Amino acid sequence: MTGDRVDAVFGALADENRRYLVEALAARETATATELASELPVTRQAVAKHLMALGEAGLVESARVGRETRYRLTPGALGDALGWIERVGGQWDARLAALRRHLTG
Amino acid sequence: MEVTRELVLPAPPAEVWEALTDPERLQEWFANEVEWDGDELVYRWGDGEERRARIEESDEPRRLGFRWSDPDGDETRVTFELEETDEGTRLTVTEGRDAGWTSALELRAFAFAAV
Repeated sequence: MTGDRVDAVFGALADENRRYLVEALAARETATATELASELPVTRQAVAKHLMALGEAGLVESARVGRETRYRLTPGALGDALGWIERVGGQWDARLAALRRHLTG
Repeated sequence: MEVTRELVLPAPPAEVWEALTDPERLQEWFANEVEWDGDELVYRWGDGEERRARIEESDEPRRLGFRWSDPDGDETRVTFELEETDEGTRLTVTEGRDAGWTSALELRAFAFAAV
């Protein structure tokens, strides 16, 4: 058996608007809900709700700047999640290779 | 958040099931020491790591589910699914953890090892 070739396909966030928000925030330092809503076919309230959900998930954080609330991706949150996925995935790759050797050896 | 791996093993489901659940067989490929302690399986590795798994579902030889914690104390759930195929058994393993994320937010990585 050659080395495992892993094609990682990341199933994104269940809601495509939230996917868009994560990508949009990744591409800029901060944004307001109004700015983001102007890029999506949903209302500002809907965007605010999505941002709150992303906040509860630990992916997005906000800060008041003057009279505005500005949002940004929480540094490291997405990276931590991806790191966990890689680490645990690697553990299972090794275990399954050992299981295969055990069953065929 | 969960990780999934899938592969086909050249053995029938009953044998794969045994390899996954019999402590003597587990000691041959999974951990250095494996023993039952009540309804928990205890795994020990040569580097000193120890994990306890509480079996939560056991539908022989199709589905096995248990909970355990990693060395940092994060609890995860592991599920094995076994499906009979012409070449033996398709084994799918999923390990998932509740990262405190809302259920509407699912981040999954699917990786399929080339056989």
